Amino acid sequence: MPTNKSDQDRLLEHNYDGIQEYDNPMPRWWVWIFWASILFAVVYGLDPWHVLRGPGRIAEYDAAMAAAARAFPPPAAGGNAATLDALGRNPQAMAAGKQVFVTNCAPCHRPDGGGLIGPNLTDDYWIHGGTVTDVHRTITQGVLDKGMPNWGKVLKPEQIDDVAVYVFFGLHHTNPPNPKAPQGEKVERPE
Amino acid sequence: MTLSEGVASAPAGVGARTPSVPRGAAVALDSFSYDDDIVRKFMLATFVWGLVGMLVGLIVALQMVVPALDFAPWFTFGRLRPLHTNAVIFAFAGNAFFTGAYYSTQRLCKTRMFSDVLGRFHFWGWQAIIVAAAITLPLGFTQAKEYAELEWPIDIAIAVVWVVFAVNFFGTLKQRRERHLYVAIWFYIASIITVAILHIFNNLAMPAGWLKSYPIYAGVQDAFMQWWYGHNAVAFFLTTPFLGLMYYFMPKAAERPVYSYKLSILHFWSLVFIYIWAGPHHLHYTALPEWASTLGMVFSVMLWMPSWGGMINGLLTLRGAWNKVAEDPVLKFFVVAVTAYGMATFEGPMLSIKSVNALAHYSDWIIAHVHTGTLGWNGFLTFGMIYWLMPRLFQTRLYSRKLAEWHFWIGSLGILLYVVAIYSAGVTEGLMWRAFDHTGRLAYPDWIETVVKVIPMWWMRAVGGGLYLVGVLMLGWNMLMTWRSRPAVYDVPVIQAPPLTREHREETRAGAPAGAWARFTSLDWHRMWEGRWLLFTVMVIVAVAVASLFEILPTFLIRENVPSISSVKPYTPLELAGRDIYIREGCFYCHSQMIRPFRWETERFGEYSKPGEFVYDHPFLWGSRRIGPDLAREGGKYPDLWHVRHMQDPRSITPRSIMPAYPQLLGNDLDFAGIQHKVDAMAMLGVPYGQAVLQDEAPKMARAQAALIADTIAQQGGPPNLQSKEIVALVAYLQRLGWDATRVAGPAAAPAAGAAGAAAAPKPAGGGAP
Repeated sequence: MPTNKSDQDRLLEHNYDGIQEYDNPMPRWWVWIFWASILFAVVYGLDPWHVLRGPGRIAEYDAAMAAAARAFPPPAAGGNAATLDALGRNPQAMAAGKQVFVTNCAPCHRPDGGGLIGPNLTDDYWIHGGTVTDVHRTITQGVLDKGMPNWGKVLKPEQIDDVAVYVFFGLHHTNPPNPKAPQGEKVERPE
Repeated sequence: MTLSEGVASAPAGVGARTPSVPRGAAVALDSFSYDDDIVRKFMLATFVWGLVGMLVGLIVALQMVVPALDFAPWFTFGRLRPLHTNAVIFAFAGNAFFTGAYYSTQRLCKTRMFSDVLGRFHFWGWQAIIVAAAITLPLGFTQAKEYAELEWPIDIAIAVVWVVFAVNFFGTLKQRRERHLYVAIWFYIASIITVAILHIFNNLAMPAGWLKSYPIYAGVQDAFMQWWYGHNAVAFFLTTPFLGLMYYFMPKAAERPVYSYKLSILHFWSLVFIYIWAGPHHLHYTALPEWASTLGMVFSVMLWMPSWGGMINGLLTLRGAWNKVAEDPVLKFFVVAVTAYGMATFEGPMLSIKSVNALAHYSDWIIAHVHTGTLGWNGFLTFGMIYWLMPRLFQTRLYSRKLAEWHFWIGSLGILLYVVAIYSAGVTEGLMWRAFDHTGRLAYPDWIETVVKVIPMWWMRAVGGGLYLVGVLMLGWNMLMTWRSRPAVYDVPVIQAPPLTREHREETRAGAPAGAWARFTSLDWHRMWEGRWLLFTVMVIVAVAVASLFEILPTFLIRENVPSISSVKPYTPLELAGRDIYIREGCFYCHSQMIRPFRWETERFGEYSKPGEFVYDHPFLWGSRRIGPDLAREGGKYPDLWHVRHMQDPRSITPRSIMPAYPQLLGNDLDFAGIQHKVDAMAMLGVPYGQAVLQDEAPKMARAQAALIADTIAQQGGPPNLQSKEIVALVAYLQRLGWDATRVAGPAAAPAAGAAGAAAAPKPAGGGAP
């Protein structure tokens, strides 16, 4: 499309309610980008060797999941009983655990642990095991059937340690008002 | 800007200069006048509905930062958001299109509109439809399809009024006294034809009551049809009509010729043909087949230059008139409008690139993109047009040019604040959603963190929107005061023009080139089309229909698009009723139900969504925005009681939640008898409901399931005796979400077993697997 000066701004004989039109050519860059976008569309759309489009969304997803599984092994559920016992005597861990509890657990177990949607955590009754490692495992893996999320995907390992000892040692026998009725089995623990 | 100027630009003698009439031939002139009364009516409606629609927009923006504003069931975000979108699109922009089209078509065709009566029917019919929308949407009557929310009786009314408009418009073309159709008319033709096609095919539905229906499409196909419609509603309701307006009012106001006729032709046809394909870019990485997604992307990329053709022709028309822009608020509005159009139509192709879309989809980025187009392009083009029309229609001087200048500047500042804020919010959301920490966990696992983070930006957006609204109030004041100084009786000038002769030979240009390609590029053939309105219209239909069918047919016919999953069963009657409550409350405006295959999504929400999961979803509820978390795998995630408390008061569960509270769901009685109609309508659409369609069987099954859920809630320590309330239906639905495809291996029968087999699905104690 030639764009020499003589072509510029030649009026056509069109006149619509006083509106006239120039016979100008289309801007050259406009034409070229349009052609380039068409070329891109054809190449990208056909792309028989999947150079541009990649292997497809599901294959890419599977690869990403596999890579993540290699890089980040699943968190250990249950933890180490001796470590957790020691943490239970550590006021810093206890305070950190309380913080995690209030943020994440309180909506279902109440801020004081007395139970609301989830069970009372202050009494002697446990549904999914009554040792500190049981509690650690329940938090990490969740009990999906009953609506307890698997916090291992959300909380960091040290946060899970902290909140597990807070629940097991910190809330025990705190006797909050209006507790939820006991659920599960009674587990005596040596004081 | 005086009346004489407006009239003088169309002197009676102009017609004699057109090549269709031999020079010097004695032709009897027709005398006629233009119907400007109808234009005044549409202009007033444009302002009134613009004010209403934008006010509702401001309200929903504020509801996102102050949830207490969701103070009544009919005043919640989920009910008001569709009122905002429908009001600004169909009421404000629609009436603006009609205003400009009625004004310009008469003048471009040198004839009065075909029928004054049809024009009035069109006007009053359209306003009645808007009123019907303003009543039914807050009451919760909705088809749950974005920008196609209105229920079937209103849809029929829309189709009737639109056909009346079309008859009036094409009748006008037929009786025209101007041989060739100007480019503005081409765009009007494309808009009228395509909107009719889109509206009819997206709204095909099975009624289940006077204001309740289910679309005939389900799941993947429904999603495809919806975004074929949704995207092209943007194209043919907000783009092509306004390009037509631009082509008339811009050269008129600038008093300059249009830059390039060739560009008009090429960008018109490429726009009309390519736009239609682009819809699937709204569904990247969803369960839509990947080939459709790819088509949507590449056609969107090809759409960049056709869109910019309009911008170039607009801006270059102003060459030599830029000194006028400095003085004239009308041209200022036009310049910002066309620039906003250019920005939005560059961004659109960019957002359609899959990897960009992965970040932007579900986020405020899309809201920012839309508002660049609507506030800038549609709004400012309309305002400029109204300021240009006012002195001509009211036959007096504009009350205050200074106030119009203020409107321009305050509106521009409003747009700037709005889009800057909401772009930042969108990118922030997109990045926070996908962020992992060094341990491989989501950096922001708690959804509410990503919401709280953008609340300051939402405040800024509300301020920007508020300023824009102040500008509209200034327009209103200017309009009122200009109208008050109108003459006692409007002058109706008599126009004279020669009628078109029957015989007409198209003049080819001097030195007509030889060879097919040369003849093609000379565009003489297009000049011939411009002289034949029916041929031109048929060509538009062909372009739109061919492009549509290329995508629609494979989507419906290829079985591999939706691999079936045998464990996916229909919803139980109670779950279906709960789903309709979910639809009524507009939950899908904030909660998606479509997990994309990205690690950051599956870590947060669970296994990605499969096409086969949605085969009984009439309508699909994938959503387009995530203000709250995705709910595709919500079933069994929390106990029943969690949902009851959460609906009652979301902030009792998540203290900083911005979700409206729905305590009324615990008080409203569920309409059990009405469930039979729902099930029957679904069965008519081919959903295998088995025994449930037998007389009165569905309500019985629903009551049985409701009793089980109510028991569970009471056992968990919740309020007793909820078995007759709406909340149990909603809980039943939410607890079913995402079960069938991924958790079939659960103990005993999955909840789904009840649906097709007809026994009411037992609700599991504890809210999870039975």
